[in-house]
Amino acid sequence: MPLDNSQQAALVQANAEKGSFRVSRTAYKSKEVFEQEKKLIFEKCWLYLGHGTELKKKGDFASRRVGGRDIIFIRDRNDQVAAFYNTCTHRGAKICREHNGNARTFACPYHGWVFNSEGKLVSQNANSGYVENLNEDGHLDLVPVPRLENYRDFYFLNYNPKAISLHDYLAGARDAIDAICDQTEDKQIILPGEHSYSVRANYKFMAENSYDGYHLLPVHASFFDHLRDQYAGTAASHVVDETIASYNSRGAVRGLGMGHAILDSYVPTGRPVAQWLPSMGAALKPEIEAKYARLVERFGKERADYIAETQKNLVIFPNLVINDILSTTVRYVEPEGPDMMRVTAWALGPRDESPELRAMRLDNFVSFLGPAGFGSPDDIEMLEICQTALEHTPIEWNEISKGMAPGGDRRTITGAPDDEIQMQAYWTQWDMIMRGIETLEA
Amino acid sequence: MPSLLTRTEAEDFLFHEAELLDDWLMPEWAALYTEDALYEVTSPASPDPKASDAKDSLFLISDRIDRIRGRASRLMKKSAHAEFPRSKTRHLVTNVRIVGEEDGGTRLRANIAVYRTKEDTSTVFMGEAWYTIVREGDALKIRRKRIILDLNSLYNQGRLTIIL
Repeated sequence: MPLDNSQQAALVQANAEKGSFRVSRTAYKSKEVFEQEKKLIFEKCWLYLGHGTELKKKGDFASRRVGGRDIIFIRDRNDQVAAFYNTCTHRGAKICREHNGNARTFACPYHGWVFNSEGKLVSQNANSGYVENLNEDGHLDLVPVPRLENYRDFYFLNYNPKAISLHDYLAGARDAIDAICDQTEDKQIILPGEHSYSVRANYKFMAENSYDGYHLLPVHASFFDHLRDQYAGTAASHVVDETIASYNSRGAVRGLGMGHAILDSYVPTGRPVAQWLPSMGAALKPEIEAKYARLVERFGKERADYIAETQKNLVIFPNLVINDILSTTVRYVEPEGPDMMRVTAWALGPRDESPELRAMRLDNFVSFLGPAGFGSPDDIEMLEICQTALEHTPIEWNEISKGMAPGGDRRTITGAPDDEIQMQAYWTQWDMIMRGIETLEA
Repeated sequence: MPSLLTRTEAEDFLFHEAELLDDWLMPEWAALYTEDALYEVTSPASPDPKASDAKDSLFLISDRIDRIRGRASRLMKKSAHAEFPRSKTRHLVTNVRIVGEEDGGTRLRANIAVYRTKEDTSTVFMGEAWYTIVREGDALKIRRKRIILDLNSLYNQGRLTIIL
């Protein structure tokens, strides 16, 4: 049941005349809002489940929690990707207790019911007591999620059977995903390993931070210090300060529709595809430059430059981050409570990358990203201090007004890299869904 | 051929490293590492953390000497927000056993538990530590340090912003 207009109207307020976009701090801390989000956001939006390349062989599976529900993500024996609720249809036991693996069947440890990789109940482990055709209608097979679709191997599920297609839901974000996937003529794959950790803050703070350009220098000053130290005495020694000085003069934040948005910026870290810096070593220069040249052949210079040189921070509403920066990360944010989230992040890279470039990609990743990097932990600190402060002070509003445009659909506006229009896009979509204005149904 | 460390030498050295970290003497800690050193913390999700390689799978930490020094100097700055104010840590090092010779140095293993307190939350990072220690003149130095945590994720710990 959507919040009624008077309750919801209090939470997101856009006043074009005053140039003010503000969000009630209640939205980040209230249990009532969180319960409403469970029903309206997490049961209506497309939620990221996993990448097709995580399931290499038939029978490969991963078990994970998405939108509060436990799911088995599996490639079945017909090479079809499926998603089932991780519960025995008998008396409820969790049938898949491994984080990932390969299986042709799942046997429930409780009473021995057996399901195959397509979810069909193939044995009730009983010679008597059951009517012959009890499962004729398949109601005892593993229950699949109502909707499962993918865009370029990124699999999303939806708990609303009437939801619009994933394709339509993604709107302008499709082009952003294309710019990442088109880096290679082969495919992008999830690389081995993952980072999984918690943050004591509301999931929406993570969405906001992930494409925020405004915080770059205050929060990441020590990372840039480190880069300067790395580049000192090399041809790149001036790069850090030059790029910082010009940060806001190049790039943009762009609302992509449907609450999604991207920060396109230029930051001097180099990119495996495809921007070489001397700090990467001469050995990698030919490969990286060849990748750039091939992009120009395939797409022309303008698109090639966008793919190769732009740092891209993409948030797909409500809780998926794909940052294609000094390395590429896919970061899923699972809300656990108004003040708690669980983050799982993977590295993404081209399957056809050389081992040396792959090693650099992973090295870049851990240098900045992840719970032990030189960057992300400081971002997380900001989220946690926002959560604790707004929970223990009576101030009502967050002011998210930077770059506010006088009018137009706030979900598709463009701004400067350190503006906040991308958060205005997010909150506008959130508000429309919570009020029942945007049903995300066909 | 330099001699292997005795257990006593190894313990003294590891206890010294632990004391530097608990006293937050980070540059002094970094000075314990060789120019070709590698400090690693494997990912809790790794299926085979002893054999894994940061060149082809995601680790939590994989630092050569430039990043060992960078990590140390970063932690001395107020601008390292995740450690401001600084955590209190206590490194416990135990079950030290010399395994043998490797890479011109002594390979040893130990168990570790690092308690960390940030404001009113205390958590622990526990695991096994594998070291290769070499002699440089009179001094002992660390060439390799790999920590394998007894965790499936950092869900309880949140982040890993201290040095283990």
